[in-house]
Amino acid sequence: MAVVLPAVVEELLSEMAAAVQESARSTGSRLKFLFGSSATQALDLVDRQSITLISSPSGRHVYQVLGSSGKTYTCLASCHYCSCPAFAFSVLRKSDSILCKHLLAVYLSQVMRTCQQLSVSDKQLTDILLMEKKQEA
Amino acid sequence: MAETLRRVLTRDGAAWSGEENTAAAGPPLLLLGAPGSGKTALLFAAALEAAGEGQGPVLFLTRRPLQSLPRGTGTTLDPMRLQKIRFQYPPSTRELFRFLCSAHEAPGPAPSLLLLDGLEEYLAEDPEPQEAAYLIALLLDTAAHFSHRLGPGRDCGLMVALQTQEEADSGDVLHLALLQRYFPAQCWLQPDAPGPGEHGLRACLDPGGLGPRTEWWVTFRSDGEMMIAPWPTQAGDPSSGKGSSSGGQP
Repeated sequence: MAVVLPAVVEELLSEMAAAVQESARSTGSRLKFLFGSSATQALDLVDRQSITLISSPSGRHVYQVLGSSGKTYTCLASCHYCSCPAFAFSVLRKSDSILCKHLLAVYLSQVMRTCQQLSVSDKQLTDILLMEKKQEA
Repeated sequence: MAETLRRVLTRDGAAWSGEENTAAAGPPLLLLGAPGSGKTALLFAAALEAAGEGQGPVLFLTRRPLQSLPRGTGTTLDPMRLQKIRFQYPPSTRELFRFLCSAHEAPGPAPSLLLLDGLEEYLAEDPEPQEAAYLIALLLDTAAHFSHRLGPGRDCGLMVALQTQEEADSGDVLHLALLQRYFPAQCWLQPDAPGPGEHGLRACLDPGGLGPRTEWWVTFRSDGEMMIAPWPTQAGDPSSGKGSSSGGQP
C-alpha cells in the first residue's frame, strides 16, 4: 500500500534517478520549478547524508532527517507525513505545497538508494514512533 | 478497503462478476455520516466479509464495546467469522497512539483488515492539526506494515468511520480536509430514500479515482438485518430516484 504521489512527481523522481549519475542539470531545474527552494534544500540534505532509515526486525521502518537547524524530524514515507512545522503549515493547513523538503529528501534518497541505515529493536522503534506524540500537559 | 466495501455492497445486488481479486483490499477508505447513519453497521459488515475471506484476522478498534452486534448482511451471524474479528478498545487517544506505535511488536498473524470506529472521538481529544495528522498517518503506516507482513500480493485494508455533524465547526472542517488528503476513497452515508414512503440510507461510494462513483440503498429490517441494493436510477439521471420501479429492491 504505497503512498500515491501526484503522477508528475513520480515521473520526475524516476528521471532524477536516471539523471543523477550524469548530473543532468535539466532535471534539477524542473525539480526546482515544481518544488521551489525545497528542491535545492532537499538535494542538499541528500548530499549531506542527512537521511536515516531506521528499521527493526519486524520490518517496520521510519525515516529521520537531520534538518539544517540541527533538529531531527521524523518522516513516514508509507503515507506522506513529516513532523516538521513546514509540513504542518504549508502542506496540511495551506495546501499549497505537495511536500516539505524533508519528505522530498526521503523520496529522493529512496530513488537514489542512498541514505544511512540504522537497525533498532522492535521496542526501540515503538519508542521512536511514540516520541512524536507530544507529552500531555 | 474500498474494494472490500464494494464487495459488501454488491453481494446482495448486482451480478457477482468473476473478476474479483480477493487479495486486493483496495485503498484506505473513510466512512462518513451523521450519528445513526449506519457507519458502525457497515463497518461491521465489512469486518464479517473480510473474516469470511479467510485471508487473516480482522482488527476492530473502537472506544467502547458495541452494545449489540449489528446483524450484517447474512441471515445469521456466522460464529466462525465472528471468531476471526478481534476487538480492541483503546480508551483514549494516547492509548490509541500506543497501540498503533507498537503494532509491529504484537505476535501472531497480521490482520487482513484494520477498522476504526469513532475517529472523531479520538481527534476531539487532540485538536492540534499536527497531532491529528500524525494519528491518521500512523493508522495508514500500521496498515502498511501489516500489508508487508502478509507478504507479496496481499494487503491489509483500512477502513475508518468518522461522525460528521450538521453544524461543523472549524476544527471539524480542518480534520475533514486532513482526512480527505490521506484517504483516497470515501463513502458518505445519509438518510435518504429513493421514493415517497420509503426510508433508509443512501451510501455514496467514491473509490478515489479507481472507478466510478456508485450509490447504494441501505435499509435495516425489523430484526436488524441490513439490506443493500443499488440506488435505483433513471437512465441518464443518477440523482433522480423518485418514481422508480422496485427493480432494485432487495
